[in-house]
Parts: sequence; structure tokens; C-alpha cells
Amino acid sequence: MGAASGKLVSTVGFLSVIEHENFGLFGGLLLLNAAGRPVEFHCTAPLKPSRAQQIFYGPTLEPYLYGEQIGVSLLNKVQSAPPVVLTDVAGVLAVRDFVDLPVALVARGQLAHRGTRFQFGEHELSVETTRFEDQALVLSLLRVLPESFDLLEPFGRIHDAIQEAQRVGRAA
Amino acid sequence: MSQMLSTAEAWSWQDAPANAEQAGGLRVASLSPAALAGANSDLAVESTHFASAAVGVASFALRAPKFKTQSFLFAESGCGATALLPRAAHGATIDFAAAAREMARANAEGPARPCTRIKPPGDVIKLQDRLSYILQPSLESLITSDALSFPFQPFPYQFEGVAFLYPRMSAVLADEMGLGKTMQAITAVRLLLHSGDIRSVLLICPKPLVTNWQREFTQWAPEIPLAIIEGDQAKRGWQWQLRDVPLRIANYEVVNRDRDVLTIPDVRFDLVILDEAQRIKNRASTTSQVVRSIDRSRSWALTGTPVENSPEDLIGIFEFLAPGHLHSTMKPRRLGQAAGDYILRRTKDKVLKELPPKLFRDAELELSPEQRHSYQLAECEGVLRLTELGESATIQHVFELVLRLKQICNFDPATGESAKYERLVADLEEVVASGRKAIIFSQWVQTLQILRERLGDFHPLEYHGQIASSRRDAVIQEFKESPERPVILMSYGAGGVGLNLQFAEYVFLFDRWWNPAVEDQAINRAHRIGAAGPVTVTRFLSLQTIEQRIHQVLEEKRELFDTIFSGAEPHRHLGLTQQEIFGLFQLRCPHGPLPAAA
Repeated sequence: MGAASGKLVSTVGFLSVIEHENFGLFGGLLLLNAAGRPVEFHCTAPLKPSRAQQIFYGPTLEPYLYGEQIGVSLLNKVQSAPPVVLTDVAGVLAVRDFVDLPVALVARGQLAHRGTRFQFGEHELSVETTRFEDQALVLSLLRVLPESFDLLEPFGRIHDAIQEAQRVGRAA
Repeated sequence: MSQMLSTAEAWSWQDAPANAEQAGGLRVASLSPAALAGANSDLAVESTHFASAAVGVASFALRAPKFKTQSFLFAESGCGATALLPRAAHGATIDFAAAAREMARANAEGPARPCTRIKPPGDVIKLQDRLSYILQPSLESLITSDALSFPFQPFPYQFEGVAFLYPRMSAVLADEMGLGKTMQAITAVRLLLHSGDIRSVLLICPKPLVTNWQREFTQWAPEIPLAIIEGDQAKRGWQWQLRDVPLRIANYEVVNRDRDVLTIPDVRFDLVILDEAQRIKNRASTTSQVVRSIDRSRSWALTGTPVENSPEDLIGIFEFLAPGHLHSTMKPRRLGQAAGDYILRRTKDKVLKELPPKLFRDAELELSPEQRHSYQLAECEGVLRLTELGESATIQHVFELVLRLKQICNFDPATGESAKYERLVADLEEVVASGRKAIIFSQWVQTLQILRERLGDFHPLEYHGQIASSRRDAVIQEFKESPERPVILMSYGAGGVGLNLQFAEYVFLFDRWWNPAVEDQAINRAHRIGAAGPVTVTRFLSLQTIEQRIHQVLEEKRELFDTIFSGAEPHRHLGLTQQEIFGLFQLRCPHGPLPAAA
């Protein structure tokens, strides 16, 4: 994946992780074009951390699994890397350390993440404080989207698609 | 391990076993930082060498977890997805209820936006294809991104109707009259044309509704060029061949007439929509055969009455949508299940809580003495004649008697007496005095003409089969706009479908149709979206007459409709069978058993 700066946005990546009590974590990455239509979708099989991992990774487990494992795996699968990735799960921001493209968290309601915050339309976004320079890059790359674009809506599609993949897999 | 300790600290060592840990034979002393700070370096230190012991080591290899991924690539426009990396879905099963609840909670906290998602129909099997629908933007997003505008903000249930139609190759939109089937179909067509998924559409509707559809398309999708197929044969032939018009509107009669043109290999449509699709409920009819023969990819049917008389009606419609999917041997419940994924039906009471109420008043009237006399005479003579005919009596004979008796219930042919008319005049005076408008329905033009003469003080307008099609729009316009014309007389046939008369707040059913579905259609001309206030429906019923008997039979037949449509609505739509019509006079049908309902 190359650097994103200076590229015209052809797609935007939406990366989410769903946590299920019994089955573990499901990751999904949806690439949309500027019209909001799907271009690529990648999802993972369920991933459940072992007890040992839970103990030894402690609070670093979530960024490890969400970012380094799921996020990187999904981004490695894309045919055409998106210049920017948005997520609705704070743990996914850790993927930024392994990829050369800006990653921003889209807030649902009150933003709990203590990163560098900024606004796109009516949405509050944030990037890791150590990556504060990504703020300008994200805004620049998202500028081709209308400000009315609902940045949270695609995550609903990811959740539905993962659910459908599971349903079809169960029936097969 | 050696350490210099003061006596005090040594004491502390011995008396503070809690500060020592025994681990695998290795004794470890722990001292507080304060104790270490207070230690005097001049003091002698006793060092103890612990014997080294074998230490058990457990190693945990924290390897990166392994998991599979699935990938799907999509064509950028529309839903025409292509599987580039198809892989079998893994077998794990999950229950997403908790995740969904969490998401709903999170969404509730976030910015609330309407979001109507397109769901894949049941007959789309491949995961790749199903995901291509699921991953499409919400309808609201599509409309925003395509910069499409609406004259009015659609209701959420209307977006759901559009989301239902959009992905389906075969669909029945069977919403109750007045919920906006027209607008939903137009919007779905509009989105499909914009996405490039379809390029040619044929809409077939009853003749009186052609101008209504044209008007609605102009209102809801003004950018879509359309052609009305009409005129002489040469003109129609030219219109069918037009290449740059994505939408054609034709009435059923024109389609019948031009069937030879429609079946040539060159003529093909991406979508054919049948409005008032109950027109093809009879599979053997020419109309049904012709529309079924049209080459097409998608087939949609619009009807407020998918079952008018029997499940056969629905089977007839499905012969157009998905031939063979339903068949006569299916029991009603099985029929309902098999049809379920193809049909969307909503009723006003379920989706339009804000629609003003529809108030029914059953005007149960005694015939006037003169009417009663004529009625009894006609009934006795008629029944006697039918009895004499015996096995040679046909449904036509019975039907004639029923019509004769119903006409007497309207007006006594000998004296012109009418209990219904007396009541109607009293009601109309009140309606007109309050500045409201009223629609009066009858099944007979002759009855409407008598009413026109007698109701002269109200300056009634007329809308029925004897009013030229070219004049009908003007009649409706005058009824809508002129305060001097508060009353319109309509036949069920001409005025029952497609008209928007929501400015009228009173509906009178001067006589009753055979089928409650047709009555519902008529009532819903006024009781529909846009209605400013409650719609009062007065149903005239002559007591101890054939009208009352028909009413009772229809009431008893409602259960079947409930069974097919899961009892989801309070009103059913069933007519009378041949046996039941014979049964009205307690006669046995020569061609079948006498039903208990009689």
C-alpha cells in the first residue's frame, strides 16, 4: 500500500470489527466509490483470542487483534488500496502503525477516543494523537464527498453483510 | 543473593513471613524501599546463599492467530456484481442479536438519519449476488447522490416499498389502495433507470388511468421521457419501435390489439409493470395470455386486491410473474407461504397512523311500502321462474333476478319511491351546508342518471362509462376546484380505480358491489394520502332484501383472505361464487353443491 497523499479519492475504505460473545471477532472492510456504491468487500472468519493471549496482551490485545491482525489482513486483500480508511471502532486505529495510509475514527454520539479530533460535515472524527498530521490528510481526501455524506451508514452495511455471509455459510 | 540487613531488619525478616515468597525452593526476600533507605552501610551484613533450585518454565508461544478472509469485488454501477474471488463461506454460525442491539443503541446515540436498505429477495442464492444488494447504499443515499428530488417527502413505508421492488425480478406490490403504489413503482423505476440496471419499461394499465400515470410520472420522475401508446395502428406501430424512449405506457386494450407487434423477437423490455393486475387473474383470458407472452426480464404487478374472489386470482397473477410457482392444489396457507417473498402488502391502519380515520356508517333502511310491494312481487315471480327452470337454470338467470331486485332497492320502478334517496338527500344537505364534497357511487349508470335529475339542486357532476374519456380529466378538475360542484356521481367501474379525490370527505355507496374489494377501491379514492380530514363512508343497505343476504355471505367469506395473508389486516376481499349466487335464493346450483353460507 502506497502513501495516500496527493491522490484523488477514488474509493474510501470503511473498516469495522464486530465482537460476538460466543464466536469472537468478525472484521469487515468495505470500499465505496464517491457515489457511495460498493467496489470491494472483504470479511474475516471469526477470530477468538485464546485465554493466554487475553492474559499476556492485557489492554494491548484489542489494538493488536483489531488493528495488527484483522485490519492488516483485510487491507492486504484489497485489489486497489483506498487512500483513506475510516472506522467506527477505536481499536482499529492501531492498524495505522502497519499501513501507510491515514485512518480515522468516526464517532457515534459522544466520542470517547482521546485522539486529535476534527469535524467532517456533522460527523466528529479523530486520529491517533501520534498521527495528528493525518487530520489534514483525511480532510483533504474526504473533500470529494459531499459534506452531507453519512459516514456511519456504510458500517451498517458491513454489519449486515457479515451477518448475511454467516447466514449463508450456516445454510451451506 | 546477598543483602546487608540491620538487626531490626533481620527481625523484621523473621517476623514478616508475609514479605517472603517461597517459589520452587527459592526463598525471596522483599524489602520495602523505606527499610532499604534506613539501612546503615557500616553495619555488618549477613549474607545467605540460597541453593539454586530447578525452576519449571512454561512457555507460551503467542503466535499470531490465523483466520480466513473472504473477498468480493463489485461492478461500480448498479448491482451487477461479479465474483472475482469466490470462496465457500466458513461454517461458523452466529447469533448477531447482541451485536445488532449494540449497534442499535450506538445508532440511537449518533446522528439519527432515515436509512432504508435494499434487501436481496429470497430467490437470489449466491452470496456474491446477495452481498451486492446488501452493500448498496441506502435508498436515501442513492436519492441524494443522484440528486433526485421529490415533490413531497415520501413516507418511510414508501421507501420500504421501493426497496422491496428495486431488487426483484418478480414482485407484487399489493398495498391497500391509497398508500401510494404508483409513487413507489415510479421511484423504483426511476432508480433502476438511473443506475443503468434497466433501460426499457412497459407499463400497462386500465385505459382510464393512462393520463393519471402520465401525470404521476411527470410529478415524481420528470426527467424520464415517456411515450403513451395510442392512436391508429400505424402510429402505435411507430411508437412501439421508438428507441430513445425508456418508458412506454399502454392500456390493456391496446396491448391486446397490438399483440402481434409485442411478440416479435425485436420487442423486448427490461421491465413490464401491470397496474390493476387483477385484470389478468383469469389465466385463460386473452389479456393474460398476451401480457405473459411479452419478452421481459422483470415482471411487477400492482394491485390493491391480489385476491378478489378466490386464491385462483393470485395464481393467475403469478402466471405472469413466476409461471408454475403457485398452483391450484396448494392449500391457502401453503399458497401464502410460497407467495410470501414476492408480495408486499401493507394496510393503512398499519403504516399510516397519521392518516385521518375512515368512519363507516351503515345506513340500514327499510324499503318504502311501495318498494316493498314491488320487491316482493319481483322476488316471488323470479324464484318461481327459477324453480320452473330446474336444472336448466343458469347463473345468468339468477344474476338477472339479483340485479332486478337490487334495482328495486334503489328506486321503485312503478312509483320512483326510494328510501335510499330520501336518506341521501338529507345527508347531502348537511354535507354541502358544511362546505364539504361528496362522492356517490352506484353500479348502474341508469341509477346515477336518475340521481342527477333528482339532485339538481346540488349541481352534481358525473363520471361514468358514458362520459367521454377526453372529458373525464376536466370533470375531476371541476369537482376539485369549483365550490359550486360539491357532488360527483360515479360508477364503480369508471371511478373505482386510480383517481385521487382526497379532497372529498364523504363517500356514499348508494348500492353495494358484489365484491368488497371494489367498494374499498372506490372508498379509497377519497381516503388516501393527502386526505385533510376523516372520510365518512355511508353504506346503504336495504333490510330484508337481497342486499342484506349478499352482505352476510361476503362477511362469512373473509376468513380465506385472512388465511392467505396471515390475518394481517381487518378487511378482506372476496366476491361471490356461482354456488353462492344460487344460494341467495336457496336454490341448488346445477353445477355444484349448495354452500352452507346460503
